[in-house]
Amino acid sequence: MSEAPLVHVVDDDDSLRTALLRLLGAAGYEARGYASAGDFLLQPLPDRPGCLLLDLNMPGGPSGLELQAALRRQGVALPVVFLTGYGDVASSVRALQTGAVDFLSKPVEGETLLKALQRALSRDARARQARAQAAELTARFASLSSRERQVFDRVVMGSLNKLIAFELAISERTVKALRAQVMHKLGAHSVADLGRLAERLRQLAKDG
Amino acid sequence: MLTMVGLPVAAVAKARSVLVLYAFGRLLPANIEFDRAFREAISTTGLPPVSVFDEFLDQPRFANETNARVLARYLRDKYASQPPDIVVVAASEALLFLLQHRTELFPRVPVVHAAVSRSVLDSLASLPADVVGVPIEYDFSGTIEQALRWHPQARRLLIVTGSSTSDRRFEARLRAEAPRFRSRAAVEFLAGLPTDVLLQRLAELPRDSVVFTTGYFEDGDGREFTPRSSAEAMARVASAPIYGPFDTFIGTGVVGGRVPSFADMGRQSAEIVSALLAGVEPGALRLPPVMPNALAVDWRQVRRWRIDENMIPVAARVHFRDPTLLEEHGGIVLAATSVLLLQALLIGWLVFERRRRRLAEQATQKQRFELAHASRLAVVGELSASIAHQINQPLGAILANAEAAELMLESGGDCRDELQRILSDIRQDDLRAGEVIRHLRSLLEKHECERHLFALDAAARDVASLLQAEARRRRIGLEVRLPNTPAWVLGDRVQIQQVMINLILNAMDAVAEATASRRAVVFTLDSDAGSATVTVRDHGHGIPPQDQPRIFDSFFSTKEKGMGLGLAIARSIVETHAGRIWLDPIVGEGAAFCVELPLAVVAEEARAGSP
Repeated sequence: MSEAPLVHVVDDDDSLRTALLRLLGAAGYEARGYASAGDFLLQPLPDRPGCLLLDLNMPGGPSGLELQAALRRQGVALPVVFLTGYGDVASSVRALQTGAVDFLSKPVEGETLLKALQRALSRDARARQARAQAAELTARFASLSSRERQVFDRVVMGSLNKLIAFELAISERTVKALRAQVMHKLGAHSVADLGRLAERLRQLAKDG
Repeated sequence: MLTMVGLPVAAVAKARSVLVLYAFGRLLPANIEFDRAFREAISTTGLPPVSVFDEFLDQPRFANETNARVLARYLRDKYASQPPDIVVVAASEALLFLLQHRTELFPRVPVVHAAVSRSVLDSLASLPADVVGVPIEYDFSGTIEQALRWHPQARRLLIVTGSSTSDRRFEARLRAEAPRFRSRAAVEFLAGLPTDVLLQRLAELPRDSVVFTTGYFEDGDGREFTPRSSAEAMARVASAPIYGPFDTFIGTGVVGGRVPSFADMGRQSAEIVSALLAGVEPGALRLPPVMPNALAVDWRQVRRWRIDENMIPVAARVHFRDPTLLEEHGGIVLAATSVLLLQALLIGWLVFERRRRRLAEQATQKQRFELAHASRLAVVGELSASIAHQINQPLGAILANAEAAELMLESGGDCRDELQRILSDIRQDDLRAGEVIRHLRSLLEKHECERHLFALDAAARDVASLLQAEARRRRIGLEVRLPNTPAWVLGDRVQIQQVMINLILNAMDAVAEATASRRAVVFTLDSDAGSATVTVRDHGHGIPPQDQPRIFDSFFSTKEKGMGLGLAIARSIVETHAGRIWLDPIVGEGAAFCVELPLAVVAEEARAGSP
């Protein structure tokens, strides 16, 4: 998480792209330029915090909106700031609906642009943090034995130890021991904690 | 079958020919006068028919060594197969040219000179025996006498001369002749003054003054003039009438003078030519020592200075007076008047009718023009988003560059090189935006229908660059195929561009709903020997056969929001350019609109000179 963010600038206009890279460089950002959406997709994307500054209207190949959609399908979660020279309302609405952080009209003032990028980057940082937590949780859940998983399922459904022991045909003491093991492995402190974790896991399973 | 019958060419006697070589241009009034009198006199000599050829040195515009050499070579080649029997040279420059090139051009052909002043002849060492003619002599005193006769109240005579060598020669001659007039008026010389000072003096002359001038080649400040241009400058400001001894002064505002007559020179030359053709040896000719001078006068100046018209001799050559019909042919006029009166009624009615129709035509023309302009405005409106893009792109780059530079300067590091690059980029982008605005303005401007020579390919290139952005906004491929060679067309560049824009936008509309692979418009310009063809092709929905005959009609549209004027206006524009526009339905799907325009026939220099 300590890694510096990288801003990806995709714009087919050489002159504008160069100017944007200069501005971002001077403002202290590391930035990389691409002349087309295809160009961007072909480059291996480093696992670094960052965001995408994307021209909405590029000739040939995928448009900005199509690139955004493609990235989402690939599970790349870089926040997108759109730039447009046409400034037409319909595309801006569509861009914002699909989750763009911002939609800026050229010519854009440096301050506005940098603020938008800052918002995108902090959104990325939050998302990365959430993803890291989810990954950790998934890993912890994966470390449960099948017996422990059976106990976990029943605890979060609200079953009492006695019932669980009866259903699994084990002693109530063994249920208690397994339950402590589960709480330890998942880092939960109470049954309520376990319930929240179960909910998160269900959500992750659904998204994944 | 027709049989060719050979004519007995050899039996026809060899025709005699005379070449007249003029120093100046073809349309110089002096040359026209000379030519008319010369030909008339030649044709009435009773000799067998003589062919007269004319050549022009076009002095002083093409006065240089190279041109003289080129011209000499041209004349040699042209007349090699049929050399003239006699050469007439008109004015001293022509005489000098011929003397210089005679051996290579027409050796042993006798030469007759005309309109060459005695002083020029005197300055030549000596003329060959077969170069003959009657010199002219400028009549300073005669001109001054005439002036004093027409202005009996004049008490002052001002004589204006210049400071070049030949100006000084005239001055010396005038100083020798001037004492004759002292009894009649006070004589003052304004010799070699700076033009400013001179004009100031002339503007403030008292009413009892007359001015005589030879004009000048150089004034007191060393500025160069021609005698005619200096005389013109004087006449413009002078508060007294000006006289001069040269025919060329007539028309500059100078009243007139006793000058050699070019018609007389033509007749004199014709006489010499016919004598020579009749076999008289040049040395045996009896010629007058000098051409007589005639009085020339500008009628407008006669009126302006209130000169008594009765004092103008009948023999005087009066310029700028349109003789009335009555003056010229009084009797005939009276007889014709009654016939004319009857005709006038009929003509009057016809003229009225024609005028009515022309006014209607003009109104239509104006309407068509207004409509074309309105439709251009509509097109630009339609393009507003892509035009905004084309301007915002460079503006965005300029802003980002400027702000980057600001940040760099604040950081205080050494960034000279980078700043240099930034400034150069800003300049480029500024020009880019300016170019877009220039194109736009030329489209929006309301201008009268123009007829200029313009490069159709360059006009098409501008259209393509304007519409690339629109194509990209609509996510349509615009393929442009233009030739590398220029195609020159005569007409209104903006209107032709309007037609191209219209066709391309129509094609884009046609593919608007098409699948990605068919979303393309091809814009082509081809030219062959006589015409250029613009083709706009699409693979869209095409035009149903039943609609095809009507697509160029006004208010016919297949589009939901179409006005049905685009193609009608396009056709009217193309037809005023003598071109044609048609639909070429593509087998299968889509359409191709073609516009054919006639190519202008232009000389190389016109191409180089046009933008």
